[in-house]
Amino acid sequence: MRTRLFYNFLGITLALAVWEALGRAIGEENFAPPSVVLPEYIDLLRDGQMLRELANSLLQMLVGYGLACFVGLPIGIAMGRSRLGDALLHPWLSMFVVTSVAALVPLFVLVFGTGFAFRAAIVFVASVWYVMLTIYQGARGVEPRFIDVGRSFGASRWSRLRCILLPALYPYVITAMRIGLVHAIRAMVVAEMFVIVGYGGLIYRSGLSVSTAPLLALLVTLMVVGVIANALLRGGAKIVAPWYEERVASVGSPQT
Amino acid sequence: MRHLHPALLTAISLVIGLALWELAAHDVQRVVFAPPSAVLARLATDTASGVLPLALLGSLRHLALGFALSVIVAVPLGFAVGRSEKAAAMANPVLNAFYAIPPVALIPFILIWFGLFFEGRVALVFLMSFFEILVTVAAGARNVDPSLLSVGRSFGASRLRLVTHVMLPASLPFVFAALRVGLVRAINAMITAELFLAAVNLGEMMKHAALRFDMAGMLAVIFLLCLLGLAAQEGLKGLETRILPWYVRR
Repeated sequence: MRTRLFYNFLGITLALAVWEALGRAIGEENFAPPSVVLPEYIDLLRDGQMLRELANSLLQMLVGYGLACFVGLPIGIAMGRSRLGDALLHPWLSMFVVTSVAALVPLFVLVFGTGFAFRAAIVFVASVWYVMLTIYQGARGVEPRFIDVGRSFGASRWSRLRCILLPALYPYVITAMRIGLVHAIRAMVVAEMFVIVGYGGLIYRSGLSVSTAPLLALLVTLMVVGVIANALLRGGAKIVAPWYEERVASVGSPQT
Repeated sequence: MRHLHPALLTAISLVIGLALWELAAHDVQRVVFAPPSAVLARLATDTASGVLPLALLGSLRHLALGFALSVIVAVPLGFAVGRSEKAAAMANPVLNAFYAIPPVALIPFILIWFGLFFEGRVALVFLMSFFEILVTVAAGARNVDPSLLSVGRSFGASRLRLVTHVMLPASLPFVFAALRVGLVRAINAMITAELFLAAVNLGEMMKHAALRFDMAGMLAVIFLLCLLGLAAQEGLKGLETRILPWYVRR
Protein backbone atom coordinates (compact mmCIF):
# COMPACT_ATOMS: atom_id res chain seq x y z
CA MET A 1 0.00 0.00 0.00
CA ARG A 2 2.74 2.40 0.96
CA THR A 3 4.77 1.56 -2.13
CA ARG A 4 1.72 2.16 -4.28
CA LEU A 5 1.24 5.58 -2.77
CA PHE A 6 4.91 6.25 -3.41
CA TYR A 7 4.49 5.38 -7.09
CA ASN A 8 1.30 7.46 -7.31
CA PHE A 9 3.23 10.38 -5.96
CA LEU A 10 6.18 9.69 -8.24
CA GLY A 11 3.86 9.60 -11.28
CA ILE A 12 2.29 12.95 -10.42
CA THR A 13 5.68 14.53 -9.74
CA LEU A 14 7.05 13.23 -13.03
CA ALA A 15 4.05 14.53 -14.95
CA LEU A 16 4.42 17.97 -13.35
CA ALA A 17 8.17 17.98 -14.11
CA VAL A 18 7.57 17.09 -17.76
CA TRP A 19 4.89 19.77 -17.96
CA GLU A 20 7.25 22.36 -16.45
CA ALA A 21 10.14 21.42 -18.75
CA LEU A 22 7.93 21.34 -21.83
CA GLY A 23 6.29 24.63 -20.89
CA ARG A 24 9.66 26.35 -20.49
CA ALA A 25 10.96 24.88 -23.72
CA ILE A 26 8.08 25.93 -26.00
CA GLY A 27 7.01 29.08 -24.18
CA GLU A 28 4.05 30.44 -22.31
CA GLU A 29 2.13 31.28 -25.48
CA ASN A 30 2.16 27.59 -26.48
CA PHE A 31 1.95 25.76 -23.19
CA ALA A 32 2.32 27.57 -19.89
CA PRO A 33 4.38 25.71 -17.26
CA PRO A 34 2.88 25.09 -13.79
CA SER A 35 5.08 27.79 -12.25
CA VAL A 36 3.25 30.34 -14.42
CA VAL A 37 -0.19 28.75 -14.12
CA LEU A 38 -0.19 28.69 -10.31
CA PRO A 39 -0.05 32.49 -9.71
CA GLU A 40 -2.56 32.96 -12.54
CA TYR A 41 -4.79 30.42 -10.85
CA ILE A 42 -4.68 32.26 -7.52
CA ASP A 43 -5.56 35.48 -9.35
CA LEU A 44 -8.55 33.82 -11.00
CA LEU A 45 -9.71 32.44 -7.65
CA ARG A 46 -9.46 35.91 -6.06
CA ASP A 47 -11.24 37.55 -8.97
CA GLY A 48 -14.20 35.22 -8.44
CA GLN A 49 -15.57 35.26 -11.99
CA MET A 50 -14.29 31.74 -12.67
CA LEU A 51 -16.04 30.23 -9.66
CA ARG A 52 -19.24 32.20 -10.27
CA GLU A 53 -19.47 30.99 -13.86
CA LEU A 54 -18.60 27.47 -12.77
CA ALA A 55 -21.30 27.37 -10.10
CA ASN A 56 -23.86 28.75 -12.52
CA SER A 57 -22.94 26.27 -15.26
CA LEU A 58 -22.87 23.31 -12.89
CA LEU A 59 -26.29 24.22 -11.54
CA GLN A 60 -27.76 24.23 -15.04
CA MET A 61 -25.99 20.98 -15.82
CA LEU A 62 -27.34 19.34 -12.67
CA VAL A 63 -30.91 19.96 -13.85
CA GLY A 64 -30.30 18.11 -17.12
CA TYR A 65 -28.26 15.40 -15.45
CA GLY A 66 -30.77 14.87 -12.63
CA LEU A 67 -33.54 14.53 -15.18
CA ALA A 68 -31.44 12.04 -17.15
CA CYS A 69 -30.96 9.85 -14.05
CA PHE A 70 -34.61 10.18 -13.11
CA VAL A 71 -35.75 9.02 -16.55
CA GLY A 72 -32.87 6.74 -17.52
CA LEU A 73 -32.64 4.54 -14.45
CA PRO A 74 -36.24 3.18 -14.37
CA ILE A 75 -36.36 2.70 -18.14
CA GLY A 76 -32.98 0.95 -18.12
CA ILE A 77 -34.09 -1.41 -15.34
CA ALA A 78 -37.34 -2.15 -17.16
CA MET A 79 -35.40 -2.93 -20.34
CA GLY A 80 -33.03 -5.22 -18.50
CA ARG A 81 -35.78 -7.17 -16.79
CA SER A 82 -38.43 -7.42 -19.49
CA ARG A 83 -37.85 -9.08 -22.84
CA LEU A 84 -40.60 -7.01 -24.41
CA GLY A 85 -39.13 -3.75 -23.14
CA ASP A 86 -35.71 -4.81 -24.37
CA ALA A 87 -36.93 -5.64 -27.88
CA LEU A 88 -38.97 -2.43 -28.16
CA LEU A 89 -36.46 0.04 -26.75
CA HIS A 90 -33.03 -1.41 -27.46
CA PRO A 91 -32.86 -0.38 -31.13
CA TRP A 92 -33.56 3.23 -30.15
CA LEU A 93 -31.04 3.10 -27.35
CA SER A 94 -28.23 1.77 -29.52
CA MET A 95 -29.04 4.38 -32.16
CA PHE A 96 -29.04 7.34 -29.79
CA VAL A 97 -26.02 6.26 -27.79
CA VAL A 98 -23.74 6.47 -30.84
CA THR A 99 -25.11 9.85 -31.93
CA SER A 100 -22.60 12.64 -31.48
CA VAL A 101 -23.63 15.34 -29.01
CA ALA A 102 -21.75 18.00 -30.94
CA ALA A 103 -23.85 17.24 -34.03
CA LEU A 104 -27.02 17.84 -32.01
CA VAL A 105 -25.87 21.23 -30.72
CA PRO A 106 -26.73 23.32 -33.83
CA LEU A 107 -30.12 21.60 -34.00
CA PHE A 108 -30.86 22.29 -30.35
CA VAL A 109 -29.85 25.93 -30.72
CA LEU A 110 -32.58 26.27 -33.37
CA VAL A 111 -35.18 24.58 -31.19
CA PHE A 112 -34.34 25.89 -27.70
CA GLY A 113 -32.33 29.07 -28.27
CA THR A 114 -29.16 29.52 -26.24
CA GLY A 115 -30.53 29.83 -22.72
CA PHE A 116 -31.08 27.52 -19.83
CA ALA A 117 -33.42 25.15 -21.70
CA PHE A 118 -30.83 24.56 -24.41
CA ARG A 119 -28.02 23.68 -22.00
CA ALA A 120 -30.18 21.46 -19.81
CA ALA A 121 -31.56 19.68 -22.89
CA ILE A 122 -28.12 19.00 -24.35
CA VAL A 123 -26.86 17.65 -21.03
CA PHE A 124 -29.97 15.50 -20.77
CA VAL A 125 -29.64 13.86 -24.19
CA ALA A 126 -25.90 13.43 -23.73
CA SER A 127 -26.17 11.51 -20.47
CA VAL A 128 -29.55 9.76 -20.45
CA TRP A 129 -28.57 7.02 -22.93
CA TYR A 130 -25.39 6.17 -21.05
CA VAL A 131 -27.26 5.99 -17.75
CA MET A 132 -29.86 3.74 -19.38
CA LEU A 133 -27.30 1.48 -21.06
CA THR A 134 -25.24 0.95 -17.92
CA ILE A 135 -28.14 0.13 -15.63
CA TYR A 136 -29.60 -2.09 -18.38
CA GLN A 137 -26.41 -4.17 -18.45
CA GLY A 138 -26.50 -4.37 -14.65
CA ALA A 139 -30.16 -5.38 -14.53
CA ARG A 140 -29.59 -8.12 -17.10
CA GLY A 141 -26.71 -9.55 -15.10
CA VAL A 142 -28.57 -10.00 -11.81
CA GLU A 143 -28.12 -13.61 -10.65
CA PRO A 144 -31.28 -15.53 -11.66
CA ARG A 145 -30.77 -17.68 -8.55
CA PHE A 146 -31.50 -14.74 -6.25
CA ILE A 147 -34.79 -14.11 -7.99
CA ASP A 148 -35.62 -17.85 -7.97
CA VAL A 149 -35.07 -18.07 -4.21
CA GLY A 150 -37.49 -15.20 -3.72
CA ARG A 151 -39.99 -16.89 -5.99
CA SER A 152 -39.77 -20.24 -4.18
CA PHE A 153 -40.41 -18.51 -0.89
CA GLY A 154 -43.54 -17.04 -2.38
CA ALA A 155 -42.41 -13.41 -2.62
CA SER A 156 -44.76 -11.30 -4.72
CA ARG A 157 -43.55 -9.57 -7.86
CA TRP A 158 -43.41 -6.26 -6.02
CA SER A 159 -41.43 -7.55 -3.05
CA ARG A 160 -39.02 -9.41 -5.37
CA LEU A 161 -38.39 -6.06 -7.05
CA ARG A 162 -38.03 -4.12 -3.80
CA CYS A 163 -36.10 -6.64 -1.68
CA ILE A 164 -33.96 -8.50 -4.23
CA LEU A 165 -33.62 -6.72 -7.52
CA LEU A 166 -33.10 -3.16 -6.31
CA PRO A 167 -30.47 -3.98 -3.66
CA ALA A 168 -28.61 -6.05 -6.25
CA LEU A 169 -28.68 -3.04 -8.54
CA TYR A 170 -27.37 -0.38 -6.13
CA PRO A 171 -23.77 -0.59 -7.33
CA TYR A 172 -24.88 -0.33 -10.96
CA VAL A 173 -27.02 2.68 -10.14
CA ILE A 174 -23.91 4.40 -8.84
CA THR A 175 -21.84 3.30 -11.84
CA ALA A 176 -24.55 4.45 -14.23
CA MET A 177 -24.68 7.81 -12.49
CA ARG A 178 -20.90 8.12 -12.64
CA ILE A 179 -20.70 7.37 -16.35
CA GLY A 180 -23.65 9.69 -16.94
CA LEU A 181 -21.92 12.47 -15.04
CA VAL A 182 -18.77 12.21 -17.17
CA HIS A 183 -20.90 12.66 -20.28
CA ALA A 184 -22.97 15.41 -18.65
CA ILE A 185 -19.87 17.50 -17.88
CA ARG A 186 -18.52 16.96 -21.38
CA ALA A 187 -21.84 17.97 -22.90
CA MET A 188 -22.01 21.08 -20.74
CA VAL A 189 -18.62 22.21 -22.07
CA VAL A 190 -19.51 21.36 -25.67
CA ALA A 191 -22.78 23.29 -25.51
CA GLU A 192 -21.28 26.32 -23.77
CA MET A 193 -18.26 26.51 -26.03
CA PHE A 194 -20.46 26.41 -29.10
CA VAL A 195 -22.62 29.38 -28.11
CA ILE A 196 -19.87 31.00 -25.98
CA VAL A 197 -21.68 31.35 -22.65
CA GLY A 198 -20.98 30.26 -19.08
CA TYR A 199 -17.87 28.33 -18.14
CA GLY A 200 -17.35 26.90 -21.61
CA GLY A 201 -17.56 30.41 -23.01
CA LEU A 202 -14.90 31.46 -20.52
CA ILE A 203 -12.66 28.65 -21.81
CA TYR A 204 -13.28 29.71 -25.39
CA ARG A 205 -12.50 33.37 -24.72
CA SER A 206 -9.37 32.65 -22.70
CA GLY A 207 -8.18 30.49 -25.60
CA LEU A 208 -7.92 33.71 -27.59
CA SER A 209 -5.52 35.42 -25.16
CA VAL A 210 -1.77 35.47 -25.75
CA SER A 211 -0.77 33.40 -22.73
CA THR A 212 -2.15 29.89 -22.24
CA ALA A 213 -1.92 30.22 -18.45
CA PRO A 214 -5.57 31.32 -17.86
CA LEU A 215 -6.77 28.57 -20.19
CA LEU A 216 -4.81 25.94 -18.30
CA ALA A 217 -6.08 27.31 -15.01
CA LEU A 218 -9.67 26.90 -16.21
CA LEU A 219 -8.94 23.33 -17.33
CA VAL A 220 -7.42 22.49 -13.96
CA THR A 221 -10.62 23.63 -12.24
CA LEU A 222 -12.67 21.47 -14.57
CA MET A 223 -10.42 18.54 -13.78
CA VAL A 224 -10.83 19.10 -10.04
CA VAL A 225 -14.62 19.20 -10.46
CA GLY A 226 -14.55 15.89 -12.34
CA VAL A 227 -12.32 14.18 -9.81
CA ILE A 228 -14.36 15.43 -6.83
CA ALA A 229 -17.68 14.39 -8.39
CA ASN A 230 -16.27 10.96 -9.14
CA ALA A 231 -14.96 10.56 -5.60
CA LEU A 232 -18.32 11.63 -4.15
CA LEU A 233 -20.19 9.02 -6.19
CA ARG A 234 -17.62 6.35 -5.32
CA GLY A 235 -17.98 7.27 -1.65
CA GLY A 236 -21.74 7.02 -2.03
CA ALA A 237 -21.33 3.53 -3.47
CA LYS A 238 -19.30 2.44 -0.46
CA ILE A 239 -22.04 3.63 1.90
CA VAL A 240 -25.11 2.18 0.16
CA ALA A 241 -23.58 -1.10 -1.05
CA PRO A 242 -20.26 -1.86 0.63
CA TRP A 243 -20.55 -5.54 -0.32
CA TYR A 244 -20.27 -4.81 -4.01
CA GLU A 245 -17.11 -2.78 -4.25
CA GLU A 246 -15.39 -5.29 -6.52
CA ARG A 247 -18.29 -5.45 -8.94
CA VAL A 248 -18.40 -1.69 -9.23
CA ALA A 249 -14.73 -1.58 -10.07
CA SER A 250 -15.11 -4.13 -12.83
CA VAL A 251 -18.07 -2.50 -14.56
CA GLY A 252 -16.38 0.88 -14.36
CA SER A 253 -14.53 0.23 -17.59
CA PRO A 254 -16.33 1.87 -20.48
CA GLN A 255 -17.92 -0.79 -22.63
CA THR A 256 -20.79 -0.08 -24.93
CA MET B 1 -47.07 -10.00 -27.98
CA ARG B 2 -44.73 -11.91 -25.70
CA HIS B 3 -44.27 -14.71 -28.21
CA LEU B 4 -43.33 -12.58 -31.17
CA HIS B 5 -39.83 -12.78 -32.57
CA PRO B 6 -37.51 -10.04 -31.17
CA ALA B 7 -36.57 -8.87 -34.68
CA LEU B 8 -40.26 -8.39 -35.47
CA LEU B 9 -40.72 -6.44 -32.23
CA THR B 10 -37.75 -4.26 -33.17
CA ALA B 11 -39.31 -3.53 -36.54
CA ILE B 12 -42.66 -2.77 -34.91
CA SER B 13 -40.98 -0.44 -32.44
CA LEU B 14 -39.14 1.44 -35.20
CA VAL B 15 -42.31 1.82 -37.25
CA ILE B 16 -44.31 3.08 -34.25
CA GLY B 17 -41.56 5.53 -33.32
CA LEU B 18 -41.29 6.93 -36.83
CA ALA B 19 -45.06 7.19 -37.14
CA LEU B 20 -45.28 9.14 -33.87
CA TRP B 21 -42.51 11.45 -35.05
CA GLU B 22 -44.27 11.99 -38.39
CA LEU B 23 -47.56 12.80 -36.67
CA ALA B 24 -45.91 15.13 -34.15
CA ALA B 25 -44.01 16.94 -36.88
CA HIS B 26 -47.20 17.48 -38.88
CA ASP B 27 -48.96 18.88 -35.85
CA VAL B 28 -46.42 21.56 -35.02
CA GLN B 29 -44.93 23.95 -37.51
CA ARG B 30 -42.74 22.41 -40.17
CA VAL B 31 -40.02 24.95 -39.46
CA VAL B 32 -39.55 23.69 -35.92
CA PHE B 33 -39.42 20.01 -36.61
CA ALA B 34 -39.06 18.11 -39.85
CA PRO B 35 -40.97 14.83 -40.25
CA PRO B 36 -39.01 11.66 -41.08
CA SER B 37 -40.44 11.61 -44.59
CA ALA B 38 -38.85 15.00 -45.29
CA VAL B 39 -35.55 13.86 -43.77
CA LEU B 40 -35.51 10.72 -45.90
CA ALA B 41 -36.37 12.70 -49.01
CA ARG B 42 -33.51 15.10 -48.25
CA LEU B 43 -31.17 12.20 -47.64
CA ALA B 44 -32.11 10.73 -51.02
CA THR B 45 -31.67 13.98 -52.99
CA ASP B 46 -28.37 14.85 -51.30
CA THR B 47 -27.04 11.36 -51.93
CA ALA B 48 -28.16 11.42 -55.56
CA SER B 49 -26.56 14.81 -56.15
CA GLY B 50 -23.30 13.52 -54.68
CA VAL B 51 -22.98 16.28 -52.06
CA LEU B 52 -23.46 14.02 -49.07
CA PRO B 53 -21.18 11.14 -50.15
CA LEU B 54 -18.41 13.62 -51.03
CA ALA B 55 -18.69 15.35 -47.66
CA LEU B 56 -18.68 12.00 -45.90
CA LEU B 57 -15.54 10.93 -47.79
CA GLY B 58 -13.81 14.13 -46.75
CA SER B 59 -14.77 13.55 -43.14
CA LEU B 60 -13.61 9.93 -43.21
CA ARG B 61 -10.07 11.04 -44.09
CA HIS B 62 -9.31 12.67 -40.76
CA LEU B 63 -11.35 10.04 -38.94
CA ALA B 64 -9.19 7.24 -40.37
CA LEU B 65 -5.85 8.93 -39.77
CA GLY B 66 -6.66 10.11 -36.24
CA PHE B 67 -8.12 6.77 -35.19
CA ALA B 68 -5.22 4.77 -36.64
CA LEU B 69 -2.68 6.93 -34.80
CA SER B 70 -4.63 6.61 -31.60
CA VAL B 71 -4.79 2.79 -31.86
CA ILE B 72 -1.06 2.53 -32.63
CA VAL B 73 -0.14 4.56 -29.56
CA ALA B 74 -2.85 3.63 -27.07
CA VAL B 75 -2.93 -0.19 -27.39
CA PRO B 76 0.77 -0.86 -26.50
CA LEU B 77 0.61 1.81 -23.81
CA GLY B 78 -2.50 0.19 -22.40
CA PHE B 79 -0.72 -3.15 -22.17
CA ALA B 80 2.23 -1.55 -20.40
CA VAL B 81 0.00 0.20 -17.87
CA GLY B 82 -2.16 -2.87 -17.35
CA ARG B 83 0.63 -5.40 -16.89
CA SER B 84 2.99 -3.50 -14.64
CA GLU B 85 1.87 -2.65 -11.10
CA LYS B 86 4.43 0.13 -10.91
CA ALA B 87 3.48 1.67 -14.23
CA ALA B 88 -0.18 1.49 -13.25
CA ALA B 89 0.42 3.15 -9.89
CA MET B 90 2.40 5.90 -11.59
CA ALA B 91 0.07 6.46 -14.51
CA ASN B 92 -3.33 6.14 -12.85
CA PRO B 93 -3.56 9.48 -11.02
CA VAL B 94 -2.32 11.34 -14.09
CA LEU B 95 -4.65 9.42 -16.44
CA ASN B 96 -7.65 9.95 -14.16
CA ALA B 97 -6.93 13.65 -14.05
CA PHE B 98 -6.66 13.86 -17.83
CA TYR B 99 -9.76 11.76 -18.30
CA ALA B 100 -11.75 14.23 -16.22
CA ILE B 101 -11.07 17.05 -18.69
CA PRO B 102 -13.63 17.16 -21.51
CA PRO B 103 -11.61 16.87 -24.73
CA VAL B 104 -13.59 19.67 -26.35
CA ALA B 105 -12.11 22.03 -23.76
CA LEU B 106 -8.70 21.29 -25.28
CA ILE B 107 -9.75 22.77 -28.63
CA PRO B 108 -7.99 26.09 -27.92
CA PHE B 109 -4.74 24.14 -27.64
CA ILE B 110 -5.42 22.27 -30.83
CA LEU B 111 -5.91 25.63 -32.53
CA ILE B 112 -2.56 26.88 -31.23
CA TRP B 113 -0.58 23.76 -32.04
CA PHE B 114 -2.22 22.29 -35.12
CA GLY B 115 -4.31 25.06 -36.65
CA LEU B 116 -7.85 25.13 -37.95
CA PHE B 117 -7.55 22.57 -40.71
CA PHE B 118 -6.75 18.94 -41.42
CA GLU B 119 -4.00 18.56 -38.78
CA GLY B 120 -6.26 20.07 -36.13
CA ARG B 121 -9.09 17.70 -36.99
CA VAL B 122 -6.78 14.68 -36.87
CA ALA B 123 -5.50 15.85 -33.48
CA LEU B 124 -8.99 16.10 -32.03
CA VAL B 125 -9.94 12.64 -33.29
CA PHE B 126 -6.75 11.27 -31.78
CA LEU B 127 -7.31 13.01 -28.45
CA MET B 128 -10.93 11.96 -28.07
CA SER B 129 -10.39 8.27 -28.81
CA PHE B 130 -6.95 7.86 -27.20
CA PHE B 131 -7.93 7.77 -23.51
CA GLU B 132 -10.98 5.62 -24.11
CA ILE B 133 -8.83 2.96 -25.82
CA LEU B 134 -6.01 3.22 -23.28
CA VAL B 135 -8.28 2.77 -20.27
CA THR B 136 -10.13 -0.22 -21.74
CA VAL B 137 -7.00 -2.03 -22.95
CA ALA B 138 -5.34 -1.49 -19.57
CA ALA B 139 -8.35 -2.98 -17.79
CA GLY B 140 -8.22 -6.00 -20.12
CA ALA B 141 -4.50 -6.57 -19.68
CA ARG B 142 -4.91 -6.37 -15.90
CA ASN B 143 -7.73 -8.91 -15.90
CA VAL B 144 -5.93 -11.70 -17.76
CA ASP B 145 -6.60 -14.85 -15.74
CA PRO B 146 -3.40 -15.50 -13.72
CA SER B 147 -3.94 -19.28 -13.92
CA LEU B 148 -3.54 -19.11 -17.70
CA LEU B 149 -0.15 -17.47 -17.26
CA SER B 150 0.83 -20.02 -14.61
CA VAL B 151 0.01 -22.91 -16.93
CA GLY B 152 2.17 -21.37 -19.62
CA ARG B 153 4.98 -20.84 -17.16
CA SER B 154 4.85 -24.40 -15.84
CA PHE B 155 5.12 -25.70 -19.39
CA GLY B 156 8.30 -23.71 -19.75
CA ALA B 157 7.10 -20.94 -22.06
CA SER B 158 9.56 -18.10 -22.44
CA ARG B 159 8.53 -14.57 -21.51
CA LEU B 160 8.05 -13.59 -25.14
CA ARG B 161 6.01 -16.70 -25.89
CA LEU B 162 3.93 -16.02 -22.80
CA VAL B 163 3.11 -12.58 -24.15
CA THR B 164 2.36 -13.61 -27.74
CA HIS B 165 0.64 -16.93 -27.06
CA VAL B 166 -1.20 -16.40 -23.76
CA MET B 167 -1.58 -12.78 -22.80
CA LEU B 168 -2.35 -11.34 -26.20
CA PRO B 169 -5.13 -13.81 -27.10
CA ALA B 170 -6.55 -13.61 -23.57
CA SER B 171 -6.90 -9.85 -23.74
CA LEU B 172 -8.10 -9.62 -27.34
CA PRO B 173 -11.77 -9.33 -26.34
CA PHE B 174 -10.86 -6.20 -24.41
CA VAL B 175 -8.88 -4.86 -27.33
CA PHE B 176 -11.98 -5.27 -29.46
CA ALA B 177 -14.13 -3.57 -26.83
CA ALA B 178 -11.59 -0.75 -26.78
CA LEU B 179 -11.68 -0.42 -30.56
CA ARG B 180 -15.47 -0.29 -30.56
CA VAL B 181 -15.70 2.39 -27.88
CA GLY B 182 -12.77 4.25 -29.41
CA LEU B 183 -14.22 4.24 -32.92
CA VAL B 184 -17.57 5.59 -31.77
CA ARG B 185 -15.75 8.36 -29.88
CA ALA B 186 -13.62 9.02 -32.96
CA ILE B 187 -16.73 9.49 -35.08
CA ASN B 188 -18.03 11.95 -32.50
CA ALA B 189 -14.70 13.74 -32.65
CA MET B 190 -14.84 13.80 -36.45
CA ILE B 191 -18.01 15.89 -36.52
CA THR B 192 -17.04 17.90 -33.41
CA ALA B 193 -13.84 18.99 -35.17
CA GLU B 194 -15.76 20.07 -38.25
CA LEU B 195 -18.16 22.15 -36.19
CA PHE B 196 -15.66 23.74 -33.79
CA LEU B 197 -12.63 24.22 -36.08
CA ALA B 198 -12.96 25.34 -39.70
CA ALA B 199 -16.40 24.24 -40.95
CA VAL B 200 -15.86 21.71 -43.75
CA ASN B 201 -17.51 18.57 -45.14
CA LEU B 202 -20.44 17.35 -43.00
CA GLY B 203 -19.91 20.10 -40.42
CA GLU B 204 -20.20 22.73 -43.14
CA MET B 205 -23.43 21.15 -44.38
CA MET B 206 -24.84 21.30 -40.86
CA LYS B 207 -23.85 24.91 -40.31
CA HIS B 208 -25.34 25.96 -43.64
CA ALA B 209 -28.54 24.11 -42.85
CA ALA B 210 -28.67 25.81 -39.45
CA LEU B 211 -28.31 29.25 -41.03
CA ARG B 212 -31.24 28.51 -43.34
CA PHE B 213 -33.35 27.04 -40.50
CA ASP B 214 -33.35 23.86 -42.57
CA MET B 215 -34.30 21.17 -40.04
CA ALA B 216 -34.49 18.39 -42.61
CA GLY B 217 -30.97 19.10 -43.82
CA MET B 218 -29.56 18.98 -40.29
CA LEU B 219 -31.43 15.84 -39.35
CA ALA B 220 -30.23 14.17 -42.55
CA VAL B 221 -26.60 14.71 -41.53
CA ILE B 222 -27.30 13.58 -37.95
CA PHE B 223 -29.03 10.47 -39.29
CA LEU B 224 -26.06 9.70 -41.52
CA LEU B 225 -23.67 10.05 -38.56
CA CYS B 226 -25.88 7.79 -36.51
CA LEU B 227 -25.80 5.16 -39.27
CA LEU B 228 -22.02 5.49 -39.49
CA GLY B 229 -21.69 4.91 -35.74
CA LEU B 230 -23.97 1.89 -35.83
CA ALA B 231 -22.15 0.44 -38.85
CA ALA B 232 -18.78 0.88 -37.12
CA GLN B 233 -19.99 -0.79 -33.96
CA GLU B 234 -21.77 -3.69 -35.65
CA GLY B 235 -18.89 -4.16 -38.10
CA LEU B 236 -16.39 -4.54 -35.28
CA LYS B 237 -18.75 -6.88 -33.44
CA GLY B 238 -19.00 -9.04 -36.56
CA LEU B 239 -15.25 -9.04 -36.97
CA GLU B 240 -14.88 -10.03 -33.33
CA THR B 241 -17.13 -13.08 -33.64
CA ARG B 242 -15.18 -14.17 -36.73
CA ILE B 243 -11.74 -13.71 -35.22
CA LEU B 244 -12.61 -14.79 -31.69
CA PRO B 245 -15.23 -17.51 -32.10
CA TRP B 246 -14.21 -18.99 -28.74
CA TYR B 247 -15.12 -15.87 -26.88
CA VAL B 248 -18.83 -15.61 -26.14
CA ARG B 249 -19.88 -12.13 -25.15
CA ARG B 250 -22.63 -11.95 -22.57
